[in-house]
Amino acid sequence: MKVTVKSWTGVATWRWVANDDNCGICRMPFDSCCPDCKLPGDDCPLVWGACSHCFHIHCIVKWLHSQPQQQCPMCRQDWKFNNK
Amino acid sequence: MSYKKEDLKIYWSKINYAFPILNDTIFSDCGNAEYEEIQQIIVGLGIQIKIRDLVLLHIEKYLRQHVAPSFWSKFVKVEEDEKGFQLFKSAVNDLYDAVANFSGMLQRLTILNNSCNDSKPIYAEKDVISGFKQLVRATLLSQLPLDFQVIIESFYKVSFNVFDNEYDKEDMGEDVTCSGCLNECSDCNCMYIVKVFHETNKKLMELQLLERLTGQVLTNFIQMRIESHIQKLCNGTFDKSHIGFLETWLDTTVMSWLTRIYCGGSSKPSPDDKNTLNAILKFKQKLSYFLYHSYTKLRIDELFNIIIEYPDSQPAVDDIKICLEKTDLRSTLCKNLQSALETRLLHPGVNTPDILTAYVTTIRALRHLDPSGVILETVTKPVRNYLRNRDDTVRSVVSSLTEEGAGSELAEELVKFAAETDGDSDKDEAWDEWNPDPVDADPTVDSSDRRANDIISMLVNVYGSKELFVNEYRTLLADRLLAQNAINTEKEIRYLELLKLRFGESQLHYCEVMLKDISDSKRINALIQQDKEIEILNKKFTSNAMILSAQFWPPFKDESLELPEQIKRHFEAYTKSFEGLKGNRTLSWKPHLGNVNIEIEIGDKKLDLTVSPFNATMIMYFQDKPEWSIDELHQVMKVPVTVLRRKITYWQSMGLITEKTTDHFVLVDGSDGNKPNVASNQVQEMICEDDETESVMASAHDQREGELQVFWSYIVGMLTNLDSLPLDRIHQMLKMFASQAPGTECSLQELRQFLDTKVRTHQLVLQGGMYKLPKT
Ligand SMILES: [Zn+2]
Ligand SMILES: [Zn+2]
Ligand SMILES: [Zn+2]
Repeated sequence: MKVTVKSWTGVATWRWVANDDNCGICRMPFDSCCPDCKLPGDDCPLVWGACSHCFHIHCIVKWLHSQPQQQCPMCRQDWKFNNK
Repeated sequence: MSYKKEDLKIYWSKINYAFPILNDTIFSDCGNAEYEEIQQIIVGLGIQIKIRDLVLLHIEKYLRQHVAPSFWSKFVKVEEDEKGFQLFKSAVNDLYDAVANFSGMLQRLTILNNSCNDSKPIYAEKDVISGFKQLVRATLLSQLPLDFQVIIESFYKVSFNVFDNEYDKEDMGEDVTCSGCLNECSDCNCMYIVKVFHETNKKLMELQLLERLTGQVLTNFIQMRIESHIQKLCNGTFDKSHIGFLETWLDTTVMSWLTRIYCGGSSKPSPDDKNTLNAILKFKQKLSYFLYHSYTKLRIDELFNIIIEYPDSQPAVDDIKICLEKTDLRSTLCKNLQSALETRLLHPGVNTPDILTAYVTTIRALRHLDPSGVILETVTKPVRNYLRNRDDTVRSVVSSLTEEGAGSELAEELVKFAAETDGDSDKDEAWDEWNPDPVDADPTVDSSDRRANDIISMLVNVYGSKELFVNEYRTLLADRLLAQNAINTEKEIRYLELLKLRFGESQLHYCEVMLKDISDSKRINALIQQDKEIEILNKKFTSNAMILSAQFWPPFKDESLELPEQIKRHFEAYTKSFEGLKGNRTLSWKPHLGNVNIEIEIGDKKLDLTVSPFNATMIMYFQDKPEWSIDELHQVMKVPVTVLRRKITYWQSMGLITEKTTDHFVLVDGSDGNKPNVASNQVQEMICEDDETESVMASAHDQREGELQVFWSYIVGMLTNLDSLPLDRIHQMLKMFASQAPGTECSLQELRQFLDTKVRTHQLVLQGGMYKLPKT
């Protein structure tokens, strides 16, 4: 008997490679989206700060807008986008 | 003053001449002038009272001994109605004559009575004639024989036939027998019957015996005729309204016949005969109530069938609607229909989609019957309870909602709902259409809820909550999306749009993401196929992937499966390519999900199969080594032994693997003597679908249980602090804690079920309606 695989369709789930499961601002899972969005992933991406904390981009932008100082909400260091 | 004996003798014989009844006969030639003289003699003797009383006594005796027995002697049981008709006629005639023969004597008795001046009532009446009639009636009725109704019935039956026939002549055609009198047409007797009928009734009327003698018989008879007429006309035909025809029939045939009975043959009572007018009017009211009542009862007995045939049966439903207002049969209707539904629908022999279809038509028909929704609510309660306990209800509702083509009532309903919401939405509670709730309405239910509920929400409510229903839909959609390679996403999106109108955006948002995942996967997959490394690997076989947003899909059943090395290599390359494409993101594979297209060459035959990753993996291992024990398979595939045993049956049924000894499996290869049965023609070169139709998703029940676990720590906390709490208190407190996340709302009923499972597993104790933590 000879078995030949012609095609294999697998199923995978995607996830962000981050050191936490949930966004520290909105408390939603990173793999879900921020409260203002409907679609996860490309439409509601994550961003990392120089301090290595990460958030939904929409969450951190909203946060920074509402604060007099541009600090990371988790560690209170000055916030800088880390373009890694 | 004294009289000679001879004179007294003469006087007595004269008195006897005037009142022959004293000798037990009736006939006398005594004229008025002659009586004048006799009257004076009586008065002269001062014995008027004595004579009067004596005469009355003799009349009474005569009636008792002769008239009544001879009258009743004709009331015998007869077989033929014709004979009964004649007997009754002659009985009435003879009675009438006998009574008439008294008239001369009664005249004289009246004069005598007037001379008595004692104003004593004659048989409770003021005058002799009335008293006499009263006496006749009383005497007759005191001797009523047992079967007296038989010939009366015959009499009216024969005459009614003639009348009924008169108004129903269209089908006379070439019949040789007259359907009125049942004689041959050439010898038709109808005229005679009508004549006798009128004469007899007239006589009975004069004797004031009509009502007393025939009232009950007539009522029974007419009611019987009404019932049989309704049966004949309406039984089993629901596509026509019958009420109008029945009313006309009652008016033209029955009432005109009755009027003729009461009016001695004329078709109308004289306008100043108030008594007769009244009697007829009363009779008519009684009969039309009876007509509605019988018709409604017939329809109630047939209601289940009427509902099944709805909307073709709408005329019948309209009739019932009219009838319910005129009768008091609402509760009978509810009771009967409920039990009909129970016996014909709610048992294991009927499958769920059929119950659902019947439920939908019931909703439609009863809505039409009773727009207040009260009957519907009462009657279908057992249906809802029953459906709630069937495992496949939500699944059936969802699949019939998404079914395409004719016959899917629910899919139509969904489209209809969408169309309605497009139009003006505020019209359904228009003030001018408002009616108060009927008296049997449940006052705890808001009437606008009852009215506004559409069919789909009624179905969804069967299961308790919208959330659970939507979850089930999500699970079904997930299964369909994963099972089919070439899923028609456009069609699914269209349905999703309809469902969104129905259940709201937020509930179905997850499904939207699922569908987007599938179309995104196609795009990403196409990009990854262009990756150099993938291109090289694809020379052996192509690997594709569906990439899902885990948070939005229903939880997958946890199943382990170790894939063959070459497959894992493909997936690693695929993951790497994905990571390159989407920065900071990676993939987690669900090895047991997906599908595999394989070709099996055995001997000189080829099989082209699409199978599950499990089945593909297993047969690949058998290619490497033709003999495996179950433990060895467990080692390499990392699948529990029980699952292996269950799933290996697929290849056994294909005839490729056989169990040589217990838990020891061998490949049936064409090379050695034992030929595999796949060589037979029908499997050769066939494209075979893996028949594993089991859902890969955790069931709705498991899922919900999982969601409710969120509450468990709260509940334990509460009970630790407060010792014991009743159900509704726990529910209230949970509501305060519950977040807005989907699935965390929890009905009282769900909570009870959840707590009950905790009681069963001894994590809780239920005592006198209070939940407690067990003492440790
Ligand atoms: Zn966030
Ligand atoms: Zn966002
Ligand atoms: Zn930080």
